[in-house]
Amino acid sequence: MTRALSLRDNATAPAPAEAAPRSSFVPPLVAGLLVAGVLVYIQVADLDAIEARSLAFGELLVRLGEHVRLVIVSTLVVVALGVPLGILLSRPAAGPLQPPVLAVANAGQAIPSIGILVLLALLYDVGFAMAVISLVVYALLPVLRNTMVGLRHVDRSIIDAARGMGMGSRRILFTVELPLAVPVMLAGIRVALILNVGVATLATYTDAGGLGDLIERGIVFYRMPILLSGCLLTIALALLVDWLAGVAETRLRPRGL
Amino acid sequence: MPEQFHPGTGAQSDVEISLREVSKRYPASDADAVRPLSIDIARGEFLVLVGPSGCGKTTTLRMINRLVEPSGGEIWVDGKNTAHVDPDELRRHIGYVIQQVGLLPHLSIGENVGLVPKMLDWSKERIRQRVDELLDLVGLDPDTYRSRYPKQLSGGQQQRVGVARALAADPPVMLMDEPFGAIDPITRGHLQDEFLKLQARIRKTIVFVTHDIDEALRLGDRIAIFDEDARLAQLDTPLAILTSPADEFVRSFIGDGAAIRRLSLLRVGDLPAVPETSTGTGIEVDPGETVSAVLEKILAAGLDSAVVRGRGSLTVQDMLLATAARDESAVAS
Ligand SMILES: Nc1ncnc2c1ncn2[C@@H]1O[C@H](COP(=O)(O)OP(=O)(O)O)[C@@H](O)[C@H]1O
Ligand SMILES: [Mg+2]
Repeated sequence: MTRALSLRDNATAPAPAEAAPRSSFVPPLVAGLLVAGVLVYIQVADLDAIEARSLAFGELLVRLGEHVRLVIVSTLVVVALGVPLGILLSRPAAGPLQPPVLAVANAGQAIPSIGILVLLALLYDVGFAMAVISLVVYALLPVLRNTMVGLRHVDRSIIDAARGMGMGSRRILFTVELPLAVPVMLAGIRVALILNVGVATLATYTDAGGLGDLIERGIVFYRMPILLSGCLLTIALALLVDWLAGVAETRLRPRGL
Repeated sequence: MPEQFHPGTGAQSDVEISLREVSKRYPASDADAVRPLSIDIARGEFLVLVGPSGCGKTTTLRMINRLVEPSGGEIWVDGKNTAHVDPDELRRHIGYVIQQVGLLPHLSIGENVGLVPKMLDWSKERIRQRVDELLDLVGLDPDTYRSRYPKQLSGGQQQRVGVARALAADPPVMLMDEPFGAIDPITRGHLQDEFLKLQARIRKTIVFVTHDIDEALRLGDRIAIFDEDARLAQLDTPLAILTSPADEFVRSFIGDGAAIRRLSLLRVGDLPAVPETSTGTGIEVDPGETVSAVLEKILAAGLDSAVVRGRGSLTVQDMLLATAARDESAVAS
């Protein structure tokens, strides 16, 4: 429709409304059904003592809380590290540093998180901090890479025009480059977030809790209800987080892009 | 400051931009992109740089606002050697318009136009007024366009905004790099006309780059023609270039139809008219009208002469002969 308007002289045409793609309602619906299904199952199923203890409502909330906290903290750290690092590396002066830093970030994602977790546990300690470190190592790459790609793909002629009207490089970074790179950067952050939801299930191996606890206990004690609940709740959380991230992505994208 | 000036324009003393033996060689290149070039550009003059692709027009333009640093020579703008001015400060006082326009897509039209005034710390109210005034000036209704985004505008409208943005802080100098080059021919014609009218009002010193000789002839007070080797082949008024091309390159760059093109540059007031004869049978025209416009009127009216107000009458033959005579005198000289 926008296209058809722009073929004519659109001097009198009304400004086409910003058509933000509406996020599908399916993922949150599925997530809700999964949670409801699990809760109903726990109510009606014939649970033994171990299962009942692991699947008590309060217990589930605690695991979920731990999981969400791991995801939030590690994603914040990833953003706090990846975005500034990506900006620095995209400055012309930092050109030679790009390949080695990207290689390190690539390696971080290539190494399985479980390896890092166990290594950290053996060398240092267990706990929340160790879990966050291994999540950050794993999820840094998409944020770092998308920040650099987003900045690199800003239309050169826009930067040229900005320089031509007397904007300094700092002003250009903040008023031109970063806003225009926001959509690509947000996409990277969304990927990091989803990776973290999944990988945080391994935090149980460093005693940091999370929904992975249920899965692990289900395996160790050979209790299908616990294992299944852990899996389904993780899936529901992942669907919900991805959906929320999608909504945020469309909301935070600068108008006019 | 030594003031040499090239013939061709009226007021000679007031030099706004002075290129003095300016040259540019890019790193890793073994030829000058711009050969040592000296041109003085008068205040209020419209200078067009024209030539084939790669002849150094853009480089010359960008050396004036220091987006490219010269390898040699000096550039003076408004009595100051630009090498000693902070580049950002310099650029805030020189309008810059490029073919790709380069509007910031995430800012509204109003915000785009207000960018330079904002950098110069104007008050919000003053910026708002200035934005509306400029949108009006370039033919865009402020109420309709102020809060739109660039992608909602056609290419021609975007470039109007580009011009408004460059004019925002009322800079004395405008640099324009093929500003109408990406716009369809009909809109381009409109924009050229409007821009000429605008320039007649605001009298900026303009350096305008194009590869289109017709655009150059139409817009420029003077035209600098460069050849493929970045050599300045001729620097003169459009009429003088059409009448006496400096060499074979200029002749071929102008192409065919120099005499016909001259008709749209010559004004009837410049031709020798026969002092008013009998009762005026022809239509009355102003001395400032071009020969081609008057011919058009005469032929459309089915007449064979026109009366130039305050001068006398001119027949179709007079006009054609006068134009041709200039051609012969030029060839003879
Ligand atoms: N940034 C650059 N680095 C190296 N060479 C360049 C650069 N910009 C332009 N050139 C070269 O300088 C010459 C003149 O270019 P330019 O000024 O863009 O010409 P025009 O605008 O007349 O087409 C060309 O040969 C071009 O390849
Ligand atoms: Mg060019």
